[in-house]
Amino acid sequence: MITTPVKLWRRGKKLVNHIGKTGKLLYWTIVRVPPKNFADQAPYPVGIVRLDDGEMMVGQLVDWTERDLKSGVKVVAVMRRVTHEDPENIIPYGIKFKPV
Amino acid sequence: MRNESIFIIGASTTRFGELWNSSPRELAKEAFTNALSQSGVGVSNIEALYVGNMLGGMLGHQENIGSFYAEELSLSPVPAFRLEAACASGGVALHNAINSIKAGLYKTVAILGIEKMTDAGGDLVASALMAAGSDEERGSGITFPGLYALMAQAYMQQYKIKEEDLAEVSVKNHYHGSFNHKAQFRFQVSIADVMKSSRIADPLKLLDCSPVTDGAACLVITRDESIIPKNSVSIIASEVGTDTLALHKRSSFTSLRSAKEAAKQAYAKAGVKATDVDVAEVHDCFSIAELIALEDLEFSEVGRAAVDVKKGKFTRGKGKTIVNPSGGLKACGHPVGATGIKQAVEIYEQLMGTAGDKQSVKNAKIGLAHNVGGSGAIATVHIFKKSKMQSAKIKTKFKVQNLQYF
Repeated sequence: MITTPVKLWRRGKKLVNHIGKTGKLLYWTIVRVPPKNFADQAPYPVGIVRLDDGEMMVGQLVDWTERDLKSGVKVVAVMRRVTHEDPENIIPYGIKFKPV
Repeated sequence: MRNESIFIIGASTTRFGELWNSSPRELAKEAFTNALSQSGVGVSNIEALYVGNMLGGMLGHQENIGSFYAEELSLSPVPAFRLEAACASGGVALHNAINSIKAGLYKTVAILGIEKMTDAGGDLVASALMAAGSDEERGSGITFPGLYALMAQAYMQQYKIKEEDLAEVSVKNHYHGSFNHKAQFRFQVSIADVMKSSRIADPLKLLDCSPVTDGAACLVITRDESIIPKNSVSIIASEVGTDTLALHKRSSFTSLRSAKEAAKQAYAKAGVKATDVDVAEVHDCFSIAELIALEDLEFSEVGRAAVDVKKGKFTRGKGKTIVNPSGGLKACGHPVGATGIKQAVEIYEQLMGTAGDKQSVKNAKIGLAHNVGGSGAIATVHIFKKSKMQSAKIKTKFKVQNLQYF
């Protein structure tokens, strides 16, 4: 993922609106061969989530256990670090989903 | 009214694989030289060059790709264009080349599909490919195998199929690839091989996935009747459909609206039905992608593709419509920008009866190529027809050249 301070700042303003929203996990996979900058997190689950307000999102699951990996599991949107700092020492944050 | 039929008069690919000894320039030159030599026309007849390429900038730090290859192929100063539509770059380049001829701008053009992927490391390639996805997808850490894995899970839940059913696609395509001496993988695999291969993005395993590949493919197409051989292949439909960039924004995860729409339009324009198609190259970047393609192209009823593949409905020697006689992206390889052109080259050879060991159909009349970009954000469908020119002024005897490999 390529980030710049301006891009992160612009995106961050929208991301905060999602914090605390709840929804359901529809489909999930476990990424075992990750892209650059995600290597230290792999393997990690990523899922498609339908929020209670109908919005569809894609995001990593956090604080999960094996039994959470099934369709229909309730999740809540949380703000978490996405990758390590970029070359300009800005930490990218994004929305991830925590099973409730 | 102008005759709008467009014919393929030259078609060639390089060998596909990890071609560490070859530069992109060399691959392009090999594909172009062989296609041109087959066409019987000279460099001076080529009025424009269309290049399908996705990663030249990100992996090779080379942009301005149109001019780059026009120079290399000694085509300068003709107009040259690079078309980028992720893994559908080749199909989109062909579509634009066809449009330019239909618009009356040119009579004869070359289309080059090219990608050099194995010079870079796997994590860099995975990141570069994700440029075809959305910002949210990149932020989630998902990969292309991951996106297709999500589709696989949706499909498996909806139609009650198992991982072994997905594996049948890889078994078929490796079987076909075993006949293709230009394929990256010429070995067969069993269901057990697929099932025990390492997991990439559950439920997809290594042998559900197409590889990272180097390769080039080239077509010479024309509407100039004076240079069309008596037996040739015409392109009777060229359609493109699009959809949301991000998978999660779509209404269906088990069908690609882009491909369905392109197929619907292409069948209508060509005046043919799915059942008329004798041979097809479809975009099997992952095993699940072929099942979805078979349904989007109406070769199978919705939810029935896995059963049809298992029955051999699309396998050479068994089926009526042979799908991926080259081995598909899975076994032949997937140099992303080259794939759409390689598919057209394969269909041309199958219709002409010049496919050699990989010849999978006899006296076939209608062929189809289905090329997808991203997780389905764009798709192209081309339909081809074996044609006999009644009043052709045959300039050169048509023959396939013996190709030289690196």
